[in-house]
Amino acid sequence: MSVINFKLRNEVLKHNASLSYCYQCSTCSGACPVALETQGKYNPRKIIEMAILGFIDKIIEEQQSSVWLCSTCQTCVELCPQNVELTEIFILIKNRSFDAGKVPEAFISQGKAILENGIAIPYSRATNSRRESMNLPEIKTAPVEEIQKIMRETKFEEKIPEEKT
Amino acid sequence: MAYDLFLGCVIPARLPFLEASARLVFEKLGIKLNDLEGFSCCPDPTGIELIDHKTWLALGARNLSLCNENRGVMSLCSGCVETLKGVNYSLNKSKEIKDEVNTILQSVNKSYDGKVKVKHFAEVLYENLDKVKENIVKPLEGFKIAAHYGCHYLRPSEIINWDDPLDPVSIDEIIEILGAESINYDLKLECCGNPVEKSDEELSLQMIDNKLCAILKAGANCVALVCPACFQQFDFKQRTLNKEKDSNYNLPIFYLSELIALAFGYEPEDLGFRYHRNRPNDLFKTIGFNT
Repeated sequence: MSVINFKLRNEVLKHNASLSYCYQCSTCSGACPVALETQGKYNPRKIIEMAILGFIDKIIEEQQSSVWLCSTCQTCVELCPQNVELTEIFILIKNRSFDAGKVPEAFISQGKAILENGIAIPYSRATNSRRESMNLPEIKTAPVEEIQKIMRETKFEEKIPEEKT
Repeated sequence: MAYDLFLGCVIPARLPFLEASARLVFEKLGIKLNDLEGFSCCPDPTGIELIDHKTWLALGARNLSLCNENRGVMSLCSGCVETLKGVNYSLNKSKEIKDEVNTILQSVNKSYDGKVKVKHFAEVLYENLDKVKENIVKPLEGFKIAAHYGCHYLRPSEIINWDDPLDPVSIDEIIEILGAESINYDLKLECCGNPVEKSDEELSLQMIDNKLCAILKAGANCVALVCPACFQQFDFKQRTLNKEKDSNYNLPIFYLSELIALAFGYEPEDLGFRYHRNRPNDLFKTIGFNT
């Protein structure tokens, strides 16, 4: 038995009201390159249906229809006859999945890198010497403390799980 | 004419040769690029945005608050452009979001009004096609190019708002102006698979395999693209596929700026093709380019 949770539905609707326009025509799933490649393991129509019905446990806890497989290509958004902004809705569902610890490790690594360096790919000595050899200017990136301050304000820092020992 | 230059993370750290070609091209066109201090990650619309939308908005708005050139900010990366345009879109659509973001920015003594114009470098090139044409000294004869637009360059059109999201023309037209041939192929608008690498490597590899296969089938001898994530997926993953899947790919992948630089007469040695995994030397020999 699934538990219906309108809190999630209302939260999605507040984030993006277009959820309620969906009439389940499946144009999204039919046009989705990932749905095609995964034989429907990833199924955008199904995720929208579950969001409308408020099946929080199915979407987030059980990760049914695998929201993380969305490639964010936005083809569904362009083709949807009802102008449902699927990718935006999936972003909220992914955000909540992250909060619930249901997230691929690579996203956490990127978050940590930005929290520690302000940028996703820190400059190594090899990078700097390659840049120098190509006569490229030195890059002065953001002061890390400033980025960390913002990421504390948004409560991002506290969401990043502690290192497992 | 001048733009603030937003480099993002991937190009300057991992693919600086792409940056070098773009700087040469814009210098030749007389379009000045201002290097600013203090940018962070854009942040990644296929990374941070997916795990924390508010952090994405706040860091993106902070980056935009640093820009001061009134023509706007230009990026060499489709992901950065999507983020910066997307942050503008969200802030301008909702006063509540704009206020919330500015409250966060206050903690670092910054503010942002949502007004900085954002452009992709290919968009700027497309607007200056006449100038591009004037500077061609070595037409790219023999180049049969598969244009890969990439998703974030085009979509969501509501936010990106320039070329047609499902029937784009800009890159094909630039290719033709350079004297090369643009080859049509199945899966032309399909995603390269890079963003799903974080969730499912196998799926990501299958997606690029499908594209490379379609491109070769159509008779193209190289690829042109405008996004560093797509570049890594196309250039780096050929070797992985050859190892794991019994394929035999060796297809040169060019950034649009590299092709333009070649047509402007810059020598291949100046353009860092030695850093490509699939070097174009054989292609140049086969088609008699630069010999």
